[in-house]
Amino acid sequence: MDEQSKAPEQEQTPKFRGLYRHVNISVKALDRIIIACIAVIVLIVVLEMRNPGFTIVFDSKGGTDVPAQNQMYGQLLEQPEPPTREGYVFDGWYEDPACDILWDVEEDIIETDMTLYAGWQKIE
Amino acid sequence: MTNPVANLQRTAAEYKKMDQKDQKRFWSDMILNNALYILMAIFVIYTAIKEPSFRTLGSLANLLTQVAAYLPLALGIAGCIVLTGTDLSAGRVVGLTAAVAGVFMQKSDFANKMFTSIPEVSGGWIAATLLIVVLIGAAIGLVNGFFVAKFSLHPFIVTLSTQLITYGIILWFFALNGNNGQPISGLSREYKDFVGGAMFRLGGVAVPRYVLYAALLTALMWFIWNKTTFGKNMFAVGSNAEAAKVSGVNVFMTTMLVHTLAGAMYGYAGFIEGVRAGSVAASTGLNAECDAIAACVIGGVSFVGGTGKISGIILGVFVLRIIFVALTMLGVDSSSLYIIKGAIILCACALDMRKYLVKK
Repeated sequence: MDEQSKAPEQEQTPKFRGLYRHVNISVKALDRIIIACIAVIVLIVVLEMRNPGFTIVFDSKGGTDVPAQNQMYGQLLEQPEPPTREGYVFDGWYEDPACDILWDVEEDIIETDMTLYAGWQKIE
Repeated sequence: MTNPVANLQRTAAEYKKMDQKDQKRFWSDMILNNALYILMAIFVIYTAIKEPSFRTLGSLANLLTQVAAYLPLALGIAGCIVLTGTDLSAGRVVGLTAAVAGVFMQKSDFANKMFTSIPEVSGGWIAATLLIVVLIGAAIGLVNGFFVAKFSLHPFIVTLSTQLITYGIILWFFALNGNNGQPISGLSREYKDFVGGAMFRLGGVAVPRYVLYAALLTALMWFIWNKTTFGKNMFAVGSNAEAAKVSGVNVFMTTMLVHTLAGAMYGYAGFIEGVRAGSVAASTGLNAECDAIAACVIGGVSFVGGTGKISGIILGVFVLRIIFVALTMLGVDSSSLYIIKGAIILCACALDMRKYLVKK
């Protein structure tokens, strides 16, 4: 708002008391601010709603491809189709490529985007 | 108290007398003045349709729990806002008192116990701890109040500095006795039960005891605000300190007491925060004052000073929480929630000013 040019025609008594006492604003401007704020909030929500959630990518590490899933925070994975690989047995999904931290599909909840790695055991 | 039905009838009668242009303005005024409530209603209805889990009793219990956790802070800060001030130190005071309560309430057999000499947790020790943290909060509030009242310094300046100083003390505290900044965990079962023990279940979700405590605190604050001389003085000072002084109100004492009372509320909030979060870290309570201030402004505790109701504060906390619960369920990311919070505060302030201007 252009406050300086408005100042001379402003009356001596301030419009507000308290924390707003130096504020010089019209109802019209306030209406615009309110509408703009509401528009921003709605816009953000709509944009976020189009975001389907966290993406969980499955790296089958040489096995058959497993489609990625989109899930919201706090949810469980849908049981992914177990991949297959020549000469190996699939033994679960892991959070790290080295296959040390097992991801329990029935217990662990999703908190972020992530990649899960297939664990393989060589058939002797 | 005015009768809402009679009010509505009067408004309806006035509305009939208006010409078309005024009627149009009446509607646009109403929509704008209640913009945040309308927005909340839309979000809630939409979420309820889209997410069946939002309609359950369990989700109501969750909402109640959240409101109970955020209410004490808002009740404390509201007094400062009524005095046309604010309190930026609230969140850090919660952090400090949560840390102190956490250390006092650690299990005696916990390997990482910060001070092994602290006695085993018992009923009396819990009461003593609550008293200690409330006193710590009140002491910081007293410092705020003293500088604001004595030198008429703006609360922004005073509470900003106490915020930073308190954070420094928190960091010191976490470094004590070889703790080196680790979060404080291993809270004792008695403490957890006392604060977060289930009173009853709603739709399978436990409603913790601190919901009851929040209700009691709200009743206490209502009494202080509406039935005591101190409460009346607070509103008098808030709406016009000069006039209050002339009519014999002790402005210095009132200002000090409002800040001290606010500090005591943060102390209580800190006491429950550790149980709520499971452990206390140096970042506990960060930005908590923003939510509390936003809730107050939404609830009609005006920055103009001298106006505000306890019922408004409850409504404000409730509106803010329900918006966040609904938005989280719709999958809105926490980073966007910050932008939304900012927009809500700006919008609430604009609404606040608008109501004041239109009334004039």
